[in-house]
This record gives sequence, structure tokens and C-alpha cells, in this order.
Amino acid sequence: MKQALALLTLAVATVWALGLDYGLGQLAFVATWAIAGLGLVIILGQSGQISLGHGAFLAVGAYLQAGWVALGGPPLLGLAVAIAGGALLGALASLPGRRLGGLAFGMSTLAVALIVEEALVRFDGLTGGASGLSVPALTLAGWAVVDPLPQFAVSATALALALLVCRRLLNSRVGRAWRAVRDDEGAAEASGIDTAHAKGLAFAVGGALGALAGALYAHWLGYLSPEQFGLHVSFELLMLVFVGGASRLMGAVWGAVVIVALPQVIALLRDALPAGVANMAGLELVAFGLVLVAVVLWRPAGLVR
Amino acid sequence: MILQILLSGIATGCIYGLVALSFVLVYKATEAVSFMQGELLMVGAFAAVALAAAAGWPVWLAVGVAVVGMALAGALVERLALRRAMGQPHLTAVLLTFGLGLMLRGGVTTVPAATHGVHQLALPGLLGQVQLGSLTVSFAHLGVIAATVLTCAALAAFFRFSRAGLALRACSENPRVAAMMGVSASGMHTLAWALGAALAALAGILMAPVTFVHPGMGVVALKAFPAAVIGGMHSLPGALAGGVFIGVAEALAGRYLPEGANHVTAYVLMLVALLCFPRGLFAGRTA
Repeated sequence: MKQALALLTLAVATVWALGLDYGLGQLAFVATWAIAGLGLVIILGQSGQISLGHGAFLAVGAYLQAGWVALGGPPLLGLAVAIAGGALLGALASLPGRRLGGLAFGMSTLAVALIVEEALVRFDGLTGGASGLSVPALTLAGWAVVDPLPQFAVSATALALALLVCRRLLNSRVGRAWRAVRDDEGAAEASGIDTAHAKGLAFAVGGALGALAGALYAHWLGYLSPEQFGLHVSFELLMLVFVGGASRLMGAVWGAVVIVALPQVIALLRDALPAGVANMAGLELVAFGLVLVAVVLWRPAGLVR
Repeated sequence: MILQILLSGIATGCIYGLVALSFVLVYKATEAVSFMQGELLMVGAFAAVALAAAAGWPVWLAVGVAVVGMALAGALVERLALRRAMGQPHLTAVLLTFGLGLMLRGGVTTVPAATHGVHQLALPGLLGQVQLGSLTVSFAHLGVIAATVLTCAALAAFFRFSRAGLALRACSENPRVAAMMGVSASGMHTLAWALGAALAALAGILMAPVTFVHPGMGVVALKAFPAAVIGGMHSLPGALAGGVFIGVAEALAGRYLPEGANHVTAYVLMLVALLCFPRGLFAGRTA
């Protein structure tokens, strides 16, 4: 309850500080990123697996949705298709986990993500390749979602539903299996838990949430290109979870607030700098790296434990 | 034709191998998964270019100073930052090195001279090519291969005959026992990062005559992960062999498979290696 109140205050403050349209647009991005972060919280924090290529799930969701809408399918059903596609890719990406553990498995997720990214560039007949693809606005019941307020409403609703589903999952047999696998895989196996199945399910849920976020993101941006979902997105999501805390679901929301707010703060700082320094493209990279390094050095185990 | 492909594949593979070597060296000694080797490579190449072209130093001196300077920088970064990630889950070191890499890449990008214009490091003796029958041998490729062989010989001698090298190996095998024998574990971590940074910088400088020097050249390090995985993550010779293997496989895929297949070859091989040979293709000898 306290968290909901804090978020509401933050949302009102954002809209007040940034103006109605821009503020709500940013809030829509916060909610969308939080959905993707939620998936990574399930994988990382609940089932104790590592995913170095979470951007691939967003990419699959975004391109499935864009393709579905381009073919004339109903967008709401498209979201379901994207979710299913993400879950399928997640389950596939978790297959190496049957043989590998820890870092080697993380490497295999990295390989999957790099292959997906390259595939998006190569199959340019379907995806527009490196030059990109424009995505029409999301239409729900004949009404196009183009303004920031409905965009935020759609993202926030999706986030609320995702949080609800995840909470139910965590309190169920599945959630207990995840935590058992995370804490001691051998003991979990000895207690009759099908660990491979539990890990696969965690990745399917994580992939589905990532794809849902990607599909919404595609509509809000209106434009897709493979490099939007490269390694940097995977690491931004890892940073999101690290900052927000992987041990609880709300960590994804707080992490998303930080990740979306960071470029805004950097832009403000850049305006304050003298003109000669202000235009340099690398400044944002430096600032992002600096924050990441500072957070990791300050609390090597994650901000919220 | 096939010889031509093999030669360029081996030369590219040597670069991958050197980066993989630097990655495995650090990983073995400190258990830190470094996502900044590519940026170290890029900064090393830029340092050499800056010293040679901008400051007007003789090229070989510039190269030497750049490599030694990067070794010092690697040691410094370990002392200041990476030490704090010891004993934490892998993810901590992954994020920390990625953040440091972002800072390095951003730092170079803010220098206007680095992003505008194309930079090439003119290593004397490595320009031009020679025709052997139907085979065109570029000196840059030969230079990369020769330098890699020399570097590996020097590294092998260092690890076999020098006290510091033996201590580093001992520390990588079993830090606890090594510490009991009087090896300073933290000193070895610093040494490992210094060596890792120097190797990455060397790879960047060797790349410079073949490709151009630009802030994004660090992406080549993504190919070092497959190389290290194929080598088994713990074996230095394995990492080098893995790199050459990837380089040759990519070159062959570029020639004989449909366009674009060569870009995913390394990652597909990595997945196959992870699934079929989780301990590396060369696990039998080193285990």
C-alpha cells in the first residue's frame, strides 16, 4: 500500500514536472519497462537463473506484434500471439539449462540473443532489416491509442495484470519450486521437483512478459529496428533488476523508474553544461556507465536485499 | 582459393584468440566475467594511434607504450573497482565490467577527433602484399599471425619459468593453497587484470592495420566468448585454438554458406559446443 502511494506521488510529480503529455509518455515507458523487468525478476530473483539476452524476448514480441498488425490481425489477439511467441522462445532458450548451470548457461542465453538479433537483420523481407519497420498505432475496439494518456493506461493495466499473475504464480506450487531451485537445486531435485521443468517455466514466463513489453513498446515508438533490442537492452534490463532488487516483484517497477528517469536526468545535466561539452554523443554513455558502476560498487549485492 | 580463405580466417581467428585469451586469463584468476575486453581493445588501439599519429612518436614505441599503459590501466581498474566485486555472484562482475566498458566507450566518443574521420595505424612492414602463385598474402595478416605466435610463446615462457607466472597459475588453480604457500592472491588478481588488459590492447593494435580504428571496434570481443567457450573457459591454449577455429569457420561460412550465415556462425558453434562439449572441445588434455 505504501509503495502504491509512493508510486502515485511519483507519477503526479512526474506529470507536474514534465508537463501532461510528455510526463504521461514517460510513465507509459516506465510501465512497459517494468513488465519486461518483471520477467527478469522471475528468472533471476525467483528461479535463480541468469539471462544475458533478455532483449531477444522484447524483440520477438515487438516484431510478432508488428507483423501481425501489418497482416491485418486484431491487435489484442496480436498481443496474445506475441506473448505465446515469447513464451516459446523462453522455453527454447532454457533448454541448454538441462545440461548447463550458472555461467555456461548465461553464455547460451547470450548466444540465443545474438542469433535472434542477427536473424532480424537478415530476414529483411519480413522485418525491414537494419533500415527498420514502422508500426501502426494500437487500436482497441476501433479506437486508436495514440495519445500518451491511453498509452499509459494500457501499459499500466498490462503491468497490473502481469503483477497479479506473477503474485499468484509465486504463491503457488510453481513459485515454491522456483525458490527451491534457486536456493539448492540438488535438494529441490531430491524433493521430487522437476527442476528442468521449473526452469523452463520460469523462462517461458519471463519470455512472455518480455514479449508483451516489446509488443507495447513497438506501438508506443511506432518504429522498430533490430539494434533497438541489442545487447545494451539486455544489460539495461539487468541493471533495472539489480537497482530495483530481484527478490521482490515491485523491484521491477522501481528499477524501471530509475532506468527511464536516468536519460532525462542526463539530458538535464547536459543542458546545464557549457555548449562546447554539451553536444558530445559519448556523454550519455559515460553517465550511464558511471551510474551502473557506482551502484554496483556501492551495493555489490544489489540495492534492495 | 581455399588457402586464401584459410589464411584470412586464421588471421582473424588470431585476433579472436588473443581477446579470448585475455578474457580467460582474467576469468581463471579472478572468476570475473569481463564484458569490457572489447573496450580495452578499442582504447588500446586508440592510445597507439594517438601516440603515433597525433604525438608523432615512432610507431613501435607508441605500440609498446600503449600496451604497457593499458596494463597499468588494467591494474588500476582492478585496484579501484573490480576488487569490490570479488566473491559476489557472476552478475555483479558482469554489470560492473559492462558499466566500465560503457564509460570507456563513451569517454573515447566524446573526443571529437576520435569519432570524426577514419584512423589507421600504419605499422611499418605490415602494409602491402605479396603474390605467391594464385595466393595473395597480405603482410598485415602475416603480421597478426606472427605477433600472436610470439605473444603466446612469451606468455608460455612467463607461465612456465617466471616466479610471478607460476604464482598466477597456482592462484588460478587453487587460491587457498596458493595463499598458504605465500602467494599474494590480491596481487595476482591485479597481475591478471594487467595482463588481460595488455593482451586486449595488443589485439586491438594488431587489428588496426586490417580494419580501421573506431569507437565501435570493441564488438569483435563478442566473438571472444564463443572462442573461450569452445576452449572450455579454463584453458589458455584452448581459448587461442577456439579463436582460430571460430575465425576459420567464419571465413569458410562466408564463402560457402548463404549470405549472412557467417555472422551467426560463431554463436551457433558456441551453442553447439555448450550443449555437446560443456567442458570445451579440448577438455581431455587440460583436465
